[in-house]
Amino acid sequence: MMIDRLRLAGSHVLLAGTALVCVFPIYWLFATALRRPQDVTSLSPLPWPLSIDNYLDAAQKVDVTGLIVNTFVVAILSAAGQLLIALLASYAFAMYTFPLQRLMYLAFVGVWLVPFQVTMLPNYILLNRMGLINTLIGCVLPTLCSALAVLLLRQHMNAFPKELVAAAKIDGRSSWAILWTVVVPNLRPALAALGILLFINAWNEYFWPAVVLRQSNDVLQLGLRSFMGTEGDQWGPMMALASLACLPVLLLYLVLQRHIVNAFVRSGLK
Amino acid sequence: MFVIDDRQDPARAAIIAPAAGPRRFTRRAALRLIAPYLYLAPAVVLLVVFTYQPLVQAVQLSTVSWNLLPTAPMKAVGTANYSRLLDLPAFWGSLGRTATLILGLLPFTVLLPVLIALASRRVQGRARTFYQALVFAPFLVAPVAAAAVWRWLLHPGSGFVDQVVDSGRNWVYDASTAQAVIVLITGWQLLGFAVLVVWAGLAGISGDYSEAAQVDGATPGQIRRWITLPLLSPTLLFLVLTTVLLSPTLSFPLIDSMTQGGPAQATTNIYYLLWDYAFHSFDAGLSAAAGVLLFVGFGALAAVLVWISEKVAVHDD
Repeated sequence: MMIDRLRLAGSHVLLAGTALVCVFPIYWLFATALRRPQDVTSLSPLPWPLSIDNYLDAAQKVDVTGLIVNTFVVAILSAAGQLLIALLASYAFAMYTFPLQRLMYLAFVGVWLVPFQVTMLPNYILLNRMGLINTLIGCVLPTLCSALAVLLLRQHMNAFPKELVAAAKIDGRSSWAILWTVVVPNLRPALAALGILLFINAWNEYFWPAVVLRQSNDVLQLGLRSFMGTEGDQWGPMMALASLACLPVLLLYLVLQRHIVNAFVRSGLK
Repeated sequence: MFVIDDRQDPARAAIIAPAAGPRRFTRRAALRLIAPYLYLAPAVVLLVVFTYQPLVQAVQLSTVSWNLLPTAPMKAVGTANYSRLLDLPAFWGSLGRTATLILGLLPFTVLLPVLIALASRRVQGRARTFYQALVFAPFLVAPVAAAAVWRWLLHPGSGFVDQVVDSGRNWVYDASTAQAVIVLITGWQLLGFAVLVVWAGLAGISGDYSEAAQVDGATPGQIRRWITLPLLSPTLLFLVLTTVLLSPTLSFPLIDSMTQGGPAQATTNIYYLLWDYAFHSFDAGLSAAAGVLLFVGFGALAAVLVWISEKVAVHDD
């Protein structure tokens, strides 16, 4: 009994220690950002008195509002596009049998074997030819087909009760109508979870914007990178900008914690 | 309408039906035949345009000499890019550093998560959900923000970690520690995710086996070694595969924003080398050649891992 209790206490200590190591850098990021500029290098665990001077400083050095808006536009367009395109594709896989089905399915599975870095150069040339370099559309377009989303939604749709679809078919509804009036309303929780996952990935996406927005650095991730490069060691405003770069995702996480964890762990590969 | 016709005049209906019926049938059938392709079209077109066609084009680019300027001519050079690449010490060095990166990450993505998850199985309910939430959080931090805060924490003189260990060392810009810093930050981001995956794997193992073993007098240590770990092996292989697949995505932003591959190439792994050749040296052919080799190597590595997971892993049937 005593030993069991000691063991449980030991487990708690281990987990609490791990949690502390995991969370401390995030805490320190926000703590530094919220200190007064003259307190930035202070080691006191609480940022007191609080101040938003670092944020104002960052806003003077870079166009913070523009960066936030652009990042939202890119992340939302990308996530919404991925969701819609994956919905249509997975519907075809789950509800039909057709020639070349297996081949096409393998084409989606095969994507994880192709690292971005391999296709980066030809894509850069293609986007350049289309005049989309240094545009936000150029950031969104190459990401629109998410193989992960297709494969995950296909699983959900395969598990979908086929009787409901058959019943709607007997009613004479077209496959398009069935998709929107029967399938989508019933898959709403799965679609929401996937949508959040895609949004988080799109928000944190670094590689495509780095390829496409090489001059303009128009999204938060790149704005922060160029700030780190040009402004050197101005930790206060740098932490302020970094905190903005992860704030929306962390706020979402605060509200939907368990759903987000499940979505990522279940999807396994990002 | 046709139904009414049928009733009123069976003879006429018999004439009309064969004519109208098949046409209606074929149109519907044709629509039904092409419908799945229509639904798939947007995804497949994007897949071809932005993944598979570029893959083919990368192979083609790897055989030319070109400086990326649209106006400059492409000169066919055959396999010269490959032989040039294989002669470059930088290429072999970057491969070695890629291996170091992946091997360095395995303790964070496999070893520590298994130890933590096994040691904390007793913690259940709300406490567990709470720890879970905290441990997973770094996975969601934007990679550049992670780079920024760790650079700050490790800053010589005023950074928190540096003040605590009081080394005065420039961890990020010292060739002997820079790679370790990249591994540490990537490991920090992946650790919580891996712990959760192991927890999920453990939850999927039926308790019957360990109960049966307990009845037979097995010690907890024996149960862990001979029942739990073998049944966990698919999860562990999955984590190894994830490490291999995620290491380029997660480490690239850190390297690009913190060290740009330096100091003295210490953090230039193969992924960053490709980027460097393309966008800093503007050597399209060399970058594409390295990309093709990376693709082949990646495929071989993944095939081996998948093969192992099918042959060696113990499945709970």
